[in-house]
Amino acid sequence: MTDMIMPLTLILIFAVLSYPLLKPKSYSKSNNSFQAWNAVHVSFLISLIPLTMMLYKESDHVVMCWSWMNTQAFNVDLSFKFDYYSVTFTSIALFITWSILEFASWYMASYPQKELFYKYLLLFLMSMIILVTANNLFQLFIGWEGVGIMSFLLIGWWFGRTEANTASLQAVIYNRMGDIGFILTLAWMAMYLNSWDIQQIFILSKDFDMTIPQIGLIIAATGKSAQFTLHPWLPSAMEGPTPVSALLHSSTMVVAGIFLLIRLHPIMETNKLAPTICLCLGALTTLFAATCALTQNDIKKIVAFSTSSQLGLMMVAIGLNQPHLAFFHICTHAFFKAMLFLCSGAIIHSLNNEQDIRKMGGTYHTLPMTTNYLTIGKMALMGTPFLAGFFSKDAILEAMTTSHLNAWALTLTLIATSFTAVYSFRMIYLVCLGSPRHKTYETIDENHIPTNTIQRLAWGSIIAGLIISYTMIPLKTPILTMPIYLKLAAILVTLLGIILGLEISTLANKINKNTTPGIPFHFSISLIFFPILHRLIPMRKLFMGESAATKIEKSWSELFGPCGIAFTLMTVATFVKDHRMASIKSYLAVFLTSIILKMMMLKLYT
Amino acid sequence: MLKVLIPTIMLFPTIWLSSSKWLWTTTTMNSFLIAFISLTWLKWTSDTGWNASNSYMAADPLSTPLLVLTCWLLPLMILASQNHINSEPVNRQRMYITLLASLQTFMIMAFGATKIIMFYIMFEATLIPTLIIITRWGNQAERLNAGTYFLFYTLAGSLPLLVALLLLQQSTGTLSMLVLQYSDPLLLNSWGHKIWWAGCLIAFLVKMPLYGMHLWLPKAHVEAPVAGSMILAAVLLKLGGYGMMRMMVMLDPLSKQLAYPFIILALWGVIMTGLVCLRQTDLKSLIAYSSVGHMGLVAGGILIQTPWGFTGAIILMIAHGLTSSALFCLANTSYERTHSRTMILARGLQMVLPLATVWWFIANLANLALPPLPNLMGELMIITALFNWSPWTIIITGMGTLITANYSLYMFLTSQRGSIPEHITNLSPSHTREHLLMTLHLIPIILLMLKPELMWGWCN
Repeated sequence: MTDMIMPLTLILIFAVLSYPLLKPKSYSKSNNSFQAWNAVHVSFLISLIPLTMMLYKESDHVVMCWSWMNTQAFNVDLSFKFDYYSVTFTSIALFITWSILEFASWYMASYPQKELFYKYLLLFLMSMIILVTANNLFQLFIGWEGVGIMSFLLIGWWFGRTEANTASLQAVIYNRMGDIGFILTLAWMAMYLNSWDIQQIFILSKDFDMTIPQIGLIIAATGKSAQFTLHPWLPSAMEGPTPVSALLHSSTMVVAGIFLLIRLHPIMETNKLAPTICLCLGALTTLFAATCALTQNDIKKIVAFSTSSQLGLMMVAIGLNQPHLAFFHICTHAFFKAMLFLCSGAIIHSLNNEQDIRKMGGTYHTLPMTTNYLTIGKMALMGTPFLAGFFSKDAILEAMTTSHLNAWALTLTLIATSFTAVYSFRMIYLVCLGSPRHKTYETIDENHIPTNTIQRLAWGSIIAGLIISYTMIPLKTPILTMPIYLKLAAILVTLLGIILGLEISTLANKINKNTTPGIPFHFSISLIFFPILHRLIPMRKLFMGESAATKIEKSWSELFGPCGIAFTLMTVATFVKDHRMASIKSYLAVFLTSIILKMMMLKLYT
Repeated sequence: MLKVLIPTIMLFPTIWLSSSKWLWTTTTMNSFLIAFISLTWLKWTSDTGWNASNSYMAADPLSTPLLVLTCWLLPLMILASQNHINSEPVNRQRMYITLLASLQTFMIMAFGATKIIMFYIMFEATLIPTLIIITRWGNQAERLNAGTYFLFYTLAGSLPLLVALLLLQQSTGTLSMLVLQYSDPLLLNSWGHKIWWAGCLIAFLVKMPLYGMHLWLPKAHVEAPVAGSMILAAVLLKLGGYGMMRMMVMLDPLSKQLAYPFIILALWGVIMTGLVCLRQTDLKSLIAYSSVGHMGLVAGGILIQTPWGFTGAIILMIAHGLTSSALFCLANTSYERTHSRTMILARGLQMVLPLATVWWFIANLANLALPPLPNLMGELMIITALFNWSPWTIIITGMGTLITANYSLYMFLTSQRGSIPEHITNLSPSHTREHLLMTLHLIPIILLMLKPELMWGWCN
């Protein structure tokens, strides 16, 4: 029975989602037609059926639909996996997309071609569902590249702007670098395990040293999930419209890399190197991104860096061999991060497209509900007890403090946690509190903002953690006893961060004399000097391209090839023509030489 | 076989006898009919793998996809050239279509030949119509230079092949592809045999073209009219790949070692041509260099001689044939409007030709190998085969995919996105014909995704 229902609901979801895609464009102004967000809403309700069944009786299903390709005993089937991860994440993604699309119908109301925008988002959502439900790596790769290319389209939505185009290209390039890792893994698996099917990989991988494919997977996740070294595309991606940032660059697409590692975690479990890399990479990312967020003034960039930081935390959870905690954090993070973006979008839109937090302030009075949700989201992000973020974040930090792994990574993560509180508080302080610093003539009316969509996510940010922690069965027994200072460590560093944030924010208002910013400031504002590398490599590449095009193609190849030969022959020909007229000696010499040469060649051949 | 070949030959009377009013309609119609008849080849009934009509011509799962591609391309070429040939006198129009049809005739005979010598003759015969298309119907004066390059590069490569084939005939007594693979393996140990090995392959490597012997290709592509570029990218280059796959069977003991420099050169070419593409200002030249890169991957896949390599090579050849042809058509649509190939002069076209942007986007996605398009299947299989050959190649092939994505999207962004310059605001809108043309290119790519066995049947 359940074997039937799971794929059936998936087909139904795809059918409902593709309806707005195929529907001819309606020119009527009436708003009561079946909108894109209605479709997502219906799909969300449908997706609750498999979710309920999954929670009722925990069981994994793999449904193979169609034998797609087979060559030489290598088969690629179209098969879907319905386990706790895919079913839960599908529901959450649909829920969030529902809210975001409804919000977008307000946010994008004045833009032309907004129908197309919804269609892009729906296509993205479908690729995301393909990604999470895939049961073989090729199918996963389809979803993987699908979300990447939709992110290209959506970041470059305002295609008249050069920044948007640059950012979209940047996102694809960084993702492609990660894809090299994915392709490496695919090639390795095809060669050694002769299968891309996830179950078969798990069974067969027992006998192999899986270090190379694991590193491939980590590279892939680094690209997609914006881990350190391949991170710069994520802040740049904020050039896209805010609903895009809310959906793609916070809650769904960027977690695909982490999801990949969770999905293939069993092959990583027994290895030593791969989890260590994950742990260090994650810790580095989380601290790096949190440091960068400290001095940013663009409201969306702050949230973007905070996303990167949280992705680092998820990576840390993978490194701790606790994939279910990473997944837990993906789920809770999706709610509050999407909500933070929507709140930012509402504020930006109300302040006439002002993104600089120094020019905000006092929105607490003008946008009471929005700032309310913003604060809830920030508190959930900081890990305030009993909000959504607390359950997942605290669990990861606890798992980390009680393990015997890497103290360096632990320190980095704790500092990053503290920084999270600092930049969160700074943002709340500058955006919501104080007196308005925006232009006076702006009319702000919260009644038009569809706050119910944000509210929906706010409920999620409050209770999702509790619900998921009740329903999820941990893979490993969590350590339940620990000293009180370890138990409180996460909360204490967060509190410390809040106090620091308060201190810094108020201090910044009271400074009278001009102070030159110190090195730490430059360190943070220049994104840890990473842009140097970010510029240098493409520069070298383009210079190489230039020399390849001009020096090699247009000069050396021509010289050794056609032009050179033509020139030599012409020289010889003119020489012979002009100087050796009727000179019998040279004719004989040429004749003799060619005869000798011919004989030598015959000798060589026989 | 003859069911397709004779109708193709009968295209000539159709072209010359139909009234000028119906010239384009009848030829398009007839060539489409031929293309649809050719699809019946895809249904294999014979157990031996060969589907022969007589002892000279036969199709097997390797040549079938290429034959079908050839037949599919003719109506598309006719559709694509309609606009820019229309201003010519009607007899010249007939001449032009005759050239295209003769090209198809030669190509069917080349891919369908069972004797290698017949393949060779047809391989050379295709040069004549192509040369005339480039040098007669090209636009700039440089077309003569391009024609010279094209002819001399290809001939210099393929004359040694003739000698090599005669030697093969002498030592084995046959040149039939049906028999040759069952003949005794050759004893190849002397220096002369190594030269013979090179002679057998160089012709095809030049035709492919391998990096280093590719200078003729960008020139020919840039100067040729749209139909010339299309057929050149889509099918003529594949003659090289096809010929290599046929020859590799006989060259076996030597190829293991001797292929090394060529594989390296091919892979190096993937990166170098990609880098060149990044700095191109000329749209058609960019597409031409991207062809060199993709064919380098095909050459690598064929030279390592594993089933995966061959499979990937066939898939990539077919997929790349359709994709690059589609890209040349698109380049032509903007060339016909702006009369310039320079990318910077025709940018921001999304505002004026929005539906064409969709075609550009899909064609570019196919070019950068988005899964699950057949391009990706082909590239992935070749990359896997190369990885098996030597794990370090993943760095080169990985870089290659990265750079391919870069220049494909660079091409897309430059030509379609951004604000529109003022001098091109009054472009004429796209014709339905152009949309049909693009649809007919992209539908096969998308449908092949569902049943890739049609292409790789040979390796099973």
